[in-house]
Amino acid sequence: MGESTDPGDPERHAPATRDVAARNGGAPAVRLEGVTKRFPGVVANDDVDFSVDRGTIHALIGENGAGKTTLMNVLYGLYEPTEGTIRIGGEPMSFEDPGDAMDAGIGMIHQHFMLVDTMTVAENVVLGNEPTRFGGLLTDERTAVEETRRLAERYGFDIDPTERIEEISVGEQQRVEILKTLYRGAEILILDEPTAVLTPQEVDALYEILTELIDQGKTIIFITHKLGEALHAADEISVLRDGKLVGTVPAAEATREDLARMMVGKDVLLEIEKPAADRGSTVLQVSDMVVDDDRGIPAVEGVSFDVHAGEIFGIAGVDGNGQSELIEAITGLRSPESGTVAFEGADMTDLPRRKRIEAGMAYVAEDRQKRSLVMAYDLRRNGVLGCQRLPTFGEGLWIDWDRIDGYVDTVIEEYDVRPPDPGATAHSLSGGNQQKFIVGREFERDPSLVIAAQPTRGVDIGSIEFIHERLLELRSDGKATLLVSSKLDEVTQLSDRLGVIHDGQLVAVVRPEDVTDEDLGLLMAGERPTGLDVESARVRTEP
Amino acid sequence: MNRPTVTRRQGLAIGAILFGLLLVGFVIDGGRALLGDVAGVISASYFAAVFRFTVPIAFAAMGGIFAEKTGVINIGLEGLLIIGAFSAVAALWGLSATPVGANIWVAFLLAVLASTLVALLFATVCIDFKADQIIAGLAIWLIALGFAPFASIIIWDRTNSPSVGTFPVWEVPVLADLPTVGPLFSATLPVFLLVLAVPFSWYLLNRTTFGKWVEASGEDPKSLDTAGVDVRRIRYAGVLLSGVYCGIGGAGLALNTGQFVGSGDTMVDGRGWIGLTAYLIGNYNPIGAFLASFLFAALDALQLQLQQIAGFEVSSTLVGIIPYVAVVIVLTFVGRTRMPSAAGEHYESDE
Repeated sequence: MGESTDPGDPERHAPATRDVAARNGGAPAVRLEGVTKRFPGVVANDDVDFSVDRGTIHALIGENGAGKTTLMNVLYGLYEPTEGTIRIGGEPMSFEDPGDAMDAGIGMIHQHFMLVDTMTVAENVVLGNEPTRFGGLLTDERTAVEETRRLAERYGFDIDPTERIEEISVGEQQRVEILKTLYRGAEILILDEPTAVLTPQEVDALYEILTELIDQGKTIIFITHKLGEALHAADEISVLRDGKLVGTVPAAEATREDLARMMVGKDVLLEIEKPAADRGSTVLQVSDMVVDDDRGIPAVEGVSFDVHAGEIFGIAGVDGNGQSELIEAITGLRSPESGTVAFEGADMTDLPRRKRIEAGMAYVAEDRQKRSLVMAYDLRRNGVLGCQRLPTFGEGLWIDWDRIDGYVDTVIEEYDVRPPDPGATAHSLSGGNQQKFIVGREFERDPSLVIAAQPTRGVDIGSIEFIHERLLELRSDGKATLLVSSKLDEVTQLSDRLGVIHDGQLVAVVRPEDVTDEDLGLLMAGERPTGLDVESARVRTEP
Repeated sequence: MNRPTVTRRQGLAIGAILFGLLLVGFVIDGGRALLGDVAGVISASYFAAVFRFTVPIAFAAMGGIFAEKTGVINIGLEGLLIIGAFSAVAALWGLSATPVGANIWVAFLLAVLASTLVALLFATVCIDFKADQIIAGLAIWLIALGFAPFASIIIWDRTNSPSVGTFPVWEVPVLADLPTVGPLFSATLPVFLLVLAVPFSWYLLNRTTFGKWVEASGEDPKSLDTAGVDVRRIRYAGVLLSGVYCGIGGAGLALNTGQFVGSGDTMVDGRGWIGLTAYLIGNYNPIGAFLASFLFAALDALQLQLQQIAGFEVSSTLVGIIPYVAVVIVLTFVGRTRMPSAAGEHYESDE
């Protein structure tokens, strides 16, 4: 390992002017050839080809579920590719586990840090590869600290090796993760959504670190769905969609619009026939909602909207922008910090979940296995989950199993749940059938408001179509529907009005027919599309 | 995160003050005449007894630390102590009717081996078969509690064994001849082992690579796994160490007495449970656990002595609860121990 390069070079922080070719000593650092990864029933990566030159930053962008993380896990040895070859520095490699990838000089910085909170920075950096004294009997703590300090100084990290992980900021923790991979001799660093947990200042610091790293000859691949970041930090950008590589473009020549188009795609999988909306009175009114996430950080910051009878109100956005917390606050699973939820004119901000169910709120949860089903229960018992106290199904402490049997039979028949056996456990059903069962259970209860979060996630095409039809039927019946989805085509096709959520704020409420997918892609990424008529969208102004 | 409002050191200090208050309380209750008797109890030979009493508690506590630090909560400490105590006596009895020479050391090692084998069973059930650690730990206790007296009856026709002999007393040259403190320096093997094991355990946990892996395994096994260390092996090592320590503690207890008492709660009589409390009070630090164990042993020895004072008009059963009342009181004050984050959770490597 050589000494630090000249820190006086003024060009270092300007990605566009980096002389990529000059660093390119022969074979690319990483080359994927026809990499395909199939899971049972799903093709996560389909014949992906791309290469990354040594000493460059490569951004891998795409929507959720496009296969970015799977691809990187293949590269990191967590998954073996079904087909295709990985070449590191021109040599074909086959990784059995991450240890092999590490030996080949690949380090991964996970979105969720792999750090032991109670231990110091240095102890975490050397964990598993400790320098020892007396033939391995004792950890050489001094060397560990010195080695960590030396690495940190070499790459310009401001970090104290003797501090405990629980005492340092998230940005610093990320630097410790980077140090860990460098300590193990990584030449190629993969960062999975590295900016997702950082403050804007920390993001800037990260860019500087990345620049320093490539100046010292490292190669970086980072996964993101933020277009601005990819354009700002990367030399080249590869776009994945539905597991396929759409293309690789030099960052200097790409525009946001190009990337958004590549990411979202023009093709529409399903055309949905939708009659004109017959909009009725306000059913749900959410005002100035502020909700914290599990860590106590505001995830929703002042969101207001209303949903009317006979309308589908969609919320589009990249995962993790506050949708989950917003939905949990509305359904009563999480207490908002401030703001109100009114249902059919009555305030229900502080009502318990059961009262909301009784009032006629149906909920198709985002994580069906955690929130909507007890996997070990049969369909009969799953069929009354949450509604066991409704007068329809029992009285007081008693449950009327005969009526429930009838109800579950109806759901199974009407919603085509297979196998049509009320005694089957939720476990034994496929994801699509589990989802159809949940949708049936919630919809058949004749609710006045349906909240559907990611209703077709991980569901096969046939079931998707079925669920979409049912959502539109509810709309014709004059029910109000709040639909949250990170699938852009789903929300644009089903919604009458569409709110775009970014970073906990509803940045725009638009009519889907007024906007292009590119505009939405930009709004979702927190950008303001130039062509969009701002008057037609009720854009929330920054406070 | 809640920061403890009372630190551990304060807690131990409170415990010590309570210990003093108890002394004073008994003095006042029993009248001035008792003052001399009670004060007379506190002497170097009293503390020598306290050290002997500390052996099973402190070894169980340190064993518990190693297991739980790796992420496996071992509440079977009591059971392991019983196994250790019983095996030591049974082995010594089996080796020779009139124990002489090396037999007692062999019996001691066999007891440690027996306890370790039971710990191995516990580890397999908890780590490989992913049984609930609390239930498995209770099972170890209940099995030992039933097995030891049962085996006693088979071997000796009653729950208590005959006397089989005790460890020889070793004297530290010169120091043992000192006035006043001299008795502290003549003790048996388990006491000397204890004095060595406390700093050894602390060093192992805090200064060695193994200790860091133990900590990582209990705090964040996934991080340890991604760093290329086998979490399963570390957890096995932690549980087996708890077996070794409990074996020493149990054998030390029985071979100091020279007999195995299997009636009632057996001769171990809750020392494993107190050990568990001791390491919680000591916040998983072997030194803290030792101090807490010592405090309980001191109270236990005191109540025994108090019961022997002539004219002392308090029910011996009531005096007998002093150590347990102290446990409850100390725990109330120290109650905010920081458990390893992943303790009690099963870990399965993804790939």
